Amino acid sequence: MQPSQREDYLEAIQQYPEKNGHPPRYEDLAAALGKSESEVRSDMKDLVSSGDVSLLPEGVITLTGQGRQTGESVIKKHETLQCFLSEILGMDTSSASDEACTLEHAVSDETIDRLGQLIVKQDSARKVRGVEDNCQCPSISDCAEGDNVIIHCIHGRACAKRLLDLGMVPGERASIKRKLSNGALVVQVKGCDVALSPEIASAIGVERSS
Amino acid sequence: MKIALLGNPGAGKSLIFNQLTGLGIEVNRYPGSSVCLECGNVCYKKEKIEIVDLPGIYSLDGSSEEEILVRKFLEQGGADVIVAVLDATKLERNLYLFTQVTEFSPKLIAVVNMIDEAERQGLIIDVDNLSSCLGITVLLTAASEGRDIDRILPLALGSARVATLQVPYDHHIEAALKSLEKTLGAPRYKSLLALQGTGEDRMLLDAAGAVAHEIELRHRMSVRQIIATNRHNLSRKIAASAVRQGDRKKTYDLDSLLTRVFPGVPILIAILFFLLLTVFVIGSWMQELIVQTFTTYIILPFTALELPPLIERIGFSVLIALEAGLGIAFPFIFTFYIGLSLLEDTGYMTRAAFLADRAMHRLGLHGEAIIPMVIGFGCTVPAVMSLRILKTRREQTIAAFLISMIPCSARMVVIAGVVAAFVGIFWAFSIYFIVFILIILTAIVLSRITPGEQFGMIVEMSALRRPQAHLVLAKSWLRIKEFLFIAMPILIITSIALGLFQYFGLTDAFQQLVAPITVTLLGLPEYASTALLFGVFRKELAFETLAVLSGTADLGSVMTSVQLYTFAIVSVLFIPCISTIAVLYRQLGARIAILVSVYTVFLGLTIGAIINMLVK
Repeated sequence: MQPSQREDYLEAIQQYPEKNGHPPRYEDLAAALGKSESEVRSDMKDLVSSGDVSLLPEGVITLTGQGRQTGESVIKKHETLQCFLSEILGMDTSSASDEACTLEHAVSDETIDRLGQLIVKQDSARKVRGVEDNCQCPSISDCAEGDNVIIHCIHGRACAKRLLDLGMVPGERASIKRKLSNGALVVQVKGCDVALSPEIASAIGVERSS
Repeated sequence: MKIALLGNPGAGKSLIFNQLTGLGIEVNRYPGSSVCLECGNVCYKKEKIEIVDLPGIYSLDGSSEEEILVRKFLEQGGADVIVAVLDATKLERNLYLFTQVTEFSPKLIAVVNMIDEAERQGLIIDVDNLSSCLGITVLLTAASEGRDIDRILPLALGSARVATLQVPYDHHIEAALKSLEKTLGAPRYKSLLALQGTGEDRMLLDAAGAVAHEIELRHRMSVRQIIATNRHNLSRKIAASAVRQGDRKKTYDLDSLLTRVFPGVPILIAILFFLLLTVFVIGSWMQELIVQTFTTYIILPFTALELPPLIERIGFSVLIALEAGLGIAFPFIFTFYIGLSLLEDTGYMTRAAFLADRAMHRLGLHGEAIIPMVIGFGCTVPAVMSLRILKTRREQTIAAFLISMIPCSARMVVIAGVVAAFVGIFWAFSIYFIVFILIILTAIVLSRITPGEQFGMIVEMSALRRPQAHLVLAKSWLRIKEFLFIAMPILIITSIALGLFQYFGLTDAFQQLVAPITVTLLGLPEYASTALLFGVFRKELAFETLAVLSGTADLGSVMTSVQLYTFAIVSVLFIPCISTIAVLYRQLGARIAILVSVYTVFLGLTIGAIINMLVK
């Protein structure tokens, strides 16, 4: 069996329960990978002998420790590559996923680590610059007294937790009950009035609604 | 058997607690934190039941002291039964916390409180439906009317069980929870916390951190947001099926007056001014009464006993300390607490915070800081204790300095007794004026140099309510008890120390030692230094000691107006009292306590010296 084929199998077996809630059988794997059931059966024998897979009664397939390790590392490679291709190179998601499927078998661990670091760096750089750059929505402090809005996003991490606890989650409706000249607000959300400082209000992105 | 009340702030927990236990409350400080747990015992069917009132919180995931305390309490199974108190008028928001509580799988019953208020708003709550959604017994109560409070205990003892409710999280989160359980054996609530970066188990945190990062990349949303949204969605679904909106009576919205700049700010100033004036008038009247009674019936008979001098000295010191404690605690602080509890119970305090936000920003603080500041006018000790509500170290530090400078009711006595009586009422107000200018200048400098980030105000406005006399009194009583508990031992110990100090004739040596400062720098008589020293013990003692040492109550005949004025301003600014230093140390650590003390000494002496030089 080709190493790339082995890795595809292990990846599929690892991912199957996460999506479907139970471990796969021969026919499930065959359907997931687009192969015939007999082909899968013979390949599984090879994988059992290489110590990657163990077969349970009734054709249920599970991974051994070694198999899971390989499977997880392939999945991580796939996700990192896909993220790199779509987020940083700007490819569309489905072709990024296809491309990642081919690349994942050839790429070394070190390359993946470095790509991962690059992605995190880019991500945090974007956060430092302020997500406002790519979020075009107006902030709640730009709205007037009496406006009804839908909360779109919350920038900044420090104050976010308390706002979330008070029900200011994306998609929630809110109305502005009072606005002082310095931008301090009383916002009604989930039937409760919440007073906000101007700097906190400016971190809440909203859409206007009628 | 132990029962704990848990819920959002303002859901009426304390009210229920008071009605269940009466006034037999012990306040226990939770080990390693400054948060108080109120405990009380009741006897039900010949069984002793301990009831704990947990602090009000919005969430169990956060990092505030209260949240950590309640989380630990649940983790350790601190109570046999948890009574989840929910506000009927804000059921959806209150259920958010409830969904988190169920993850710890304690035995539960739910009490939907403030049903009277909900009825007034035309909200109809379907108990059976709610009960089947949550999978536990639900009781409707109206604590302010005492309705059905007596059913809580029987239900908590008889039909508490683990809730069947489980939040359906986003499938990525569910998958992560499953794999964390499989690989590390972590329970669901621990994994959820770990995904949000909270916990102590390094292995779990690392594993969860990696998964969380991937989930965040995929969703373009923080794990916290996803989890919170899932919980809110479930709460909304439950609330939608259990609450019906009937006819709503139109009521006049007082907030249209209270939260606008006009007339809101003038109302705020008027209320605060009226509060201080009332405390001052009632306080001075009551203090005189208490001190006179105490002197006539206890101190004079004691001195008449003619005990050996050393024992007499110690006994006298203890009695003086008791007199001081009672003479200041009840007239001023208790009156002040009643006013403060009134402001809180009516829900006005949150409006004050909203209006004050702007002014507080200039001082490097935000709206919520007005609460410790206002308390500071009564007594600095509880004001420092209430600094907890400020969320960053930076704000706590700035506020600690400012609070220590605010003229508390004891300093009010000095200003009134020394300046208003012998120099003139106008000059008394000028001291306030100077102190406020200094506070503002200090704040401006501190907001520039104090490290750390500014956190804004996020305050839930409490509903406006008619306060109830017995509740206001109960709350004030609890607070004064806490004050006495902290301040009394310090008062007695320092009083004995100072008594011995005098007994062994160290006063003269001290006066000689600091004479260059008192006489040359400040232009005061030598004995003023002893009076100032006693002021450290408790502020108004500076005034009384001065009268004793100068040998006459008519201070105007022995000191010039300038000397009296300098003495008053120095003792007002000069070092906070010993109890304040003790709570500063406990609340913010030795460094801040020392810095505040040194700074105020420096400030007091400098201002005194400047006045002295200007007049020369």
